[in-house]
Amino acid sequence: MAFDTTDVLLSILKIVIILSVWLTVAPIMLWVERRGSALIQDRPGPNRVGPFGLFQGLADAVKFLMKEDIVPAQAHKWLYTIAPTFGLLPALTTIAVVPWGRAFHIRELHIGGFTLFEGGRWFNPIVADVSAGILVVFALASLAVYGVTIAGWSSANKYSMFGAIRASAQMISYELALTLAAVSALLVAGSLRLTDVVAQQTTYNFVLFDLIKIPAWNVFSPAMWLAFIIFSVAAFAETNRLPFDFAEAESELVAGYHTEYSSMKFALFFMGEYMSMATMSALVVTLFLGGWDIPWYQEPPTLLGGILSFISFLLKVGVLMFVFVWVRWTIPRLKYDILMRLGWKVFLPLALFNIVLVAAFIAAGWI
Amino acid sequence: MVEFAIFFLFAAIAVIFALVVVLHRNPVVGALSLVASFFALAVMYVLLDAPFLAALQVIVYAGAIMVLFLFVIMLLNLQHVAEPNTRPIQQFLGYTGAAAFGIGLIYFILKYAVFTALPEGPFIADARAIGFRMFEAYIFPFEMVSILLLAAIVGALTLSGRAVGHRASVGTELDKAPGAEAR
Amino acid sequence: MIPTHWFLILSAILFTIGVVGVLTRKNGITIFMSIELMVNAVNLTFLAYARQMHDLHGLMFVFFIMAIAAAEAAVGLAIFISLYHHRDTIDVDEANLMHW
Repeated sequence: MAFDTTDVLLSILKIVIILSVWLTVAPIMLWVERRGSALIQDRPGPNRVGPFGLFQGLADAVKFLMKEDIVPAQAHKWLYTIAPTFGLLPALTTIAVVPWGRAFHIRELHIGGFTLFEGGRWFNPIVADVSAGILVVFALASLAVYGVTIAGWSSANKYSMFGAIRASAQMISYELALTLAAVSALLVAGSLRLTDVVAQQTTYNFVLFDLIKIPAWNVFSPAMWLAFIIFSVAAFAETNRLPFDFAEAESELVAGYHTEYSSMKFALFFMGEYMSMATMSALVVTLFLGGWDIPWYQEPPTLLGGILSFISFLLKVGVLMFVFVWVRWTIPRLKYDILMRLGWKVFLPLALFNIVLVAAFIAAGWI
Repeated sequence: MVEFAIFFLFAAIAVIFALVVVLHRNPVVGALSLVASFFALAVMYVLLDAPFLAALQVIVYAGAIMVLFLFVIMLLNLQHVAEPNTRPIQQFLGYTGAAAFGIGLIYFILKYAVFTALPEGPFIADARAIGFRMFEAYIFPFEMVSILLLAAIVGALTLSGRAVGHRASVGTELDKAPGAEAR
Repeated sequence: MIPTHWFLILSAILFTIGVVGVLTRKNGITIFMSIELMVNAVNLTFLAYARQMHDLHGLMFVFFIMAIAAAEAAVGLAIFISLYHHRDTIDVDEANLMHW
């Protein structure tokens, strides 16, 4: 592995860009959630702190920092403290293998006697382009179960333990449907790398009436729209969002597994939930909605193309995050046994059937 | 250079957390240390040019098997079952026997298993190569393992079901809250 | 490149730690975790040799070992649960009904 300084600096730049975007997701989503829910419920929402309540996130952050940190006397100190980090870890690390822009070529720059990027260099906007890309995502997403389980158990509280057991059982059940639904998209791309999955979606498959070219996004493919639906629903279940948030069920279990958490630790859970929503949306976009691809436009391999594709990626992720908020305030919560029955008896067989269907389509040459 | 630093760091992490597993009283701490040790081992697998198996190690071992361990420990409240001390003679024989075994192993490795160089060419161990091998040469073990997993599921369900007439609800285990006894 | 015998020595150390755990502890769950540690040390050995010989058979072995270890963990923990329900302890020295 020949590393030189420019490679290291470019990698650090990529990490800084993507982490700064992802860390600002929580304050932005806080505002979107509260104003969006107010819009759906026909009430004003926060409108006092700044214009349209835009500084509500700042006010909430100050509140979280100032609150007293209460630790239950019988809680297991170490585990109680590190539990919120297990929730953050998957959300922040899986974004390393998701491509967020088009690879572009940087020309040599001559600035004041120095030569930067000698010989030109390709900048690939993905932090870690490993050959087993999507497996890294699944590996780290399966660690989210630990956060919930340890948080509930170490709080020394019956309600927390109930919430933790339910949440972790739900998460491990829907992990299967999530993984199998993603396999369909991988079958078509023929590779585990997410850059290959997006590259396969940048072409055009069908041409309607010799005029309209339909982009080859996996969601438009006749064999994979079902996988898109299964993956999206399983993403809701993995992030413990309504209609699958029986673990946090506000009216039934106080607050489920994070009942006993206050101030910054609760804020970490909160942020972790929004960031894992953002990561799941990024995955749905990459696997099924064409990633950074702008439809009907061939992005040039220059800095302009890279920036345009990054903006398109962020727009798609933003639309999906709004759908998360929309669904939360529209659909009622599913009862726990119905939730588990859906996961095992409906989504798992459907996802398996979908894999067979995609394999049949590929064998018949239709994809 | 960087490879050596990564190797030593994660080898140290693997060994230290393995020692915590074996020596600590509380099985919950032991289970979490084992997760950390498996993570460090996954990094070792990446250093051995097998990123597919590294991801599988985290998915299967750290993400599924250890979750199962933690569930069993937490639901049965096993961290409060006081473990009596092992008899001194067993401890002494255990430590010395294992130490002799380990030293013998390392001696023989250094004597017979020191390779000078790796063969030429890259080592392709990605999903495509494993897939070809799996469905050509190893198709029969693959099918047998799927039957074995079915047998394991049926066995686990049968063994952990309660005897008829003792249908207890979930509440009985949870009445013993984790912090109720003196810590 | 990291020499292969370093990986083999790390694997030997982890295996020995696992052996210590199995021989000196009485808590059934801890013994089971030490066994999993030993299985992982063996996985590391297989992969080290696979890279040394440039042979994929080592990787296939590790694949199957992982699947079988998952099955073994499920059944083993079911046995422990059943032992706990009948004897209310997981001390392996208490499971002595067939002792002479």
